[in-house]
Amino acid sequence: MKKTNGLSMFSPNRRAFLQGMGATGMAAAGMMPRRARAATSMQYMCWEGYDKPSIIEPFEAAQDVNLSIDLITDSPGGFAKLAAGAWRDFDVVSTDSPWVQRMGPAGIAEFIDDAEFADVYDSFYEQFRAPFGPLQFDGQTTGLPTRWGWVGPTVNTQYDDLDTWRSYDPCFDPAYKDKICVLDWGDWPIMPMALHAGINPYKELDQAELNEIRLVLRALFKNTRAVVADLSVAQKGLMDGSFRTLIGGGTYCTSALRKDGQKHIQSIVPEPKDGLNQGIIWMEASGIVKDPADAAKAKALLKHMTSPEVAVELAWTEATCNLVPSQAAEGLFSDEQKDVLQMDYMWEAWDKSMFHDVAPNIDDMLEIWQQELAAAR
Amino acid sequence: MAMQDKSWRDGALQLSTLPLLVIFAAFFVIPLGMTALLSFQGTQYYRLVWTWDLDIWRDVFGQWHYWRIMWRTLVMALVCTALTTVLAVPIAYAMINRLSKWSHHITLLMVFAFLTDAVLKTFGWVLFLDRSGVLNGMLAGLGFGPGAVDVLFSPTATMIGMVYNLLPYTIFTTALSMARIDRDLVLASYDAGATRLRTFFEVTLPLARPGILAGAVLVFVLALGVFLEPKVMGGGTSPMAAELIRQSFETRVNWPLGAALTIVLIVIGALVLAAAGGLAAIRMRRSKA
Repeated sequence: MKKTNGLSMFSPNRRAFLQGMGATGMAAAGMMPRRARAATSMQYMCWEGYDKPSIIEPFEAAQDVNLSIDLITDSPGGFAKLAAGAWRDFDVVSTDSPWVQRMGPAGIAEFIDDAEFADVYDSFYEQFRAPFGPLQFDGQTTGLPTRWGWVGPTVNTQYDDLDTWRSYDPCFDPAYKDKICVLDWGDWPIMPMALHAGINPYKELDQAELNEIRLVLRALFKNTRAVVADLSVAQKGLMDGSFRTLIGGGTYCTSALRKDGQKHIQSIVPEPKDGLNQGIIWMEASGIVKDPADAAKAKALLKHMTSPEVAVELAWTEATCNLVPSQAAEGLFSDEQKDVLQMDYMWEAWDKSMFHDVAPNIDDMLEIWQQELAAAR
Repeated sequence: MAMQDKSWRDGALQLSTLPLLVIFAAFFVIPLGMTALLSFQGTQYYRLVWTWDLDIWRDVFGQWHYWRIMWRTLVMALVCTALTTVLAVPIAYAMINRLSKWSHHITLLMVFAFLTDAVLKTFGWVLFLDRSGVLNGMLAGLGFGPGAVDVLFSPTATMIGMVYNLLPYTIFTTALSMARIDRDLVLASYDAGATRLRTFFEVTLPLARPGILAGAVLVFVLALGVFLEPKVMGGGTSPMAAELIRQSFETRVNWPLGAALTIVLIVIGALVLAAAGGLAAIRMRRSKA
């Protein structure tokens, strides 16, 4: 609300600037395209897929809104950007759930009232219904879950049996030397290796545990052929067998290949080890950024993103295909889509997994990662 | 010398350089100063905290792996500079002296390759050098075993990429220098009985030195900051400074650390160039004496 007063029009934020520019342009030209003539302008920070025209355009038409998209490529970077002051520019954000969860207490996102979204929660699988712990902080909820999947070994069954990858042991087997691809995606490859070492990386770690993580990463790098950030390079290696698995990957890496007919490529989770689940559930969520220009429309966008019809669109994008929390959407998927998404396996993966969170010792682990990678060759 | 002194005191000249000075200050000195200031801050909970302390610098000087990566970057940049220079001299010589008829066509092809997006070229190399790529496919066709050349995702591949992407800089500067050599001097050398080889080493090469040095400096500075080649062709297992800085800014969201490492890289580059310049000046003075 405070952004709609007269003075705030002159505050240095992008949303006000764009609105002003739009109004000036309209007055000057009087011939702006349909989207620019929308009554409201909203700024949306999101991952790929959320910007799909078949998702955005119906919302713009229904709400008479012009939605500007800012795609993010890493969740910590998106959080840092908002925290550095960009929250003044944005209305809604869709990013990895641990970061959305932290936006509320960090004062850069609105807490939501679960009761207001009761109909949305009712459409979700039981596992995602309110009160949904992974998006809560001190009993307050920031955002709604929108996409999910699991992190575990990605297996090309033309080269390996699935049973081979019921644990991460092959990563350290000399027979797999130079056949392991580690994804350079922040903490994602570190977490499964910590779990393999018998350490829960999502709790506060002592020096001995951090040292164990160092040793397991050191051993991993000995067998690693490449540390890859580009999904297409990783997928190509997985397809031609030069990479036998992608550490830090999972359904996010394999679903698009399966969509293209390569059903021999699957993502699984390792069997629990010493009472510790070895898989990791990742989830994206959508939240309302602090002080949105139009709170009602920001809530409407959240409801739009979690509606069953949009959930199907969100699950099925050009770059990746992912699971959605909407149970009501399940009936809208074709059998082929369900097969691509490995929906017959999803609850087994869920049961054998930890839920991804921002680890308390994340910076220590990333530093160890840097140190060991520097010494790898 | 007197002309130079007079020129620098010339008010009109000083005024004419003012726009350049402003641009230089706005787009280089001020950002660099801000980067330096950032290195004295801290981070907490992925947010910048204005602490004004030396913690980040203690971390930079206390962590061996930063210096290991800096050292690797320096060595790779020097090797790349040497390789591009060694390759550029004969290529430029051939373009100017032996293939002058085709030099425009060759230049056009090189410019075309040079202006093609570096990401495309680098990924093209991945497809070429891959175990199941074009090169190994051709070698397999010639009777070599599958995957005969296995250099992708190694420092060798990084170097191939660096040399390929940076070679045009040295070729163009060297060729430009060679094209300006007075042909009569070369002919005089032949008339004096010198062989082509001796003429090349005693006439052409010394006269082309300014262009060669300019190319080497350009390549060295650019090689210090390469990002794509070690990441994509090198397979990321031998990270270089630019990747370290990216990780600090992006993955660790530790902007003060990224800023400090940026300053370290700039200082290393400047020191090496200053040392090289100093050595060149000493050598020049000795040769004059």
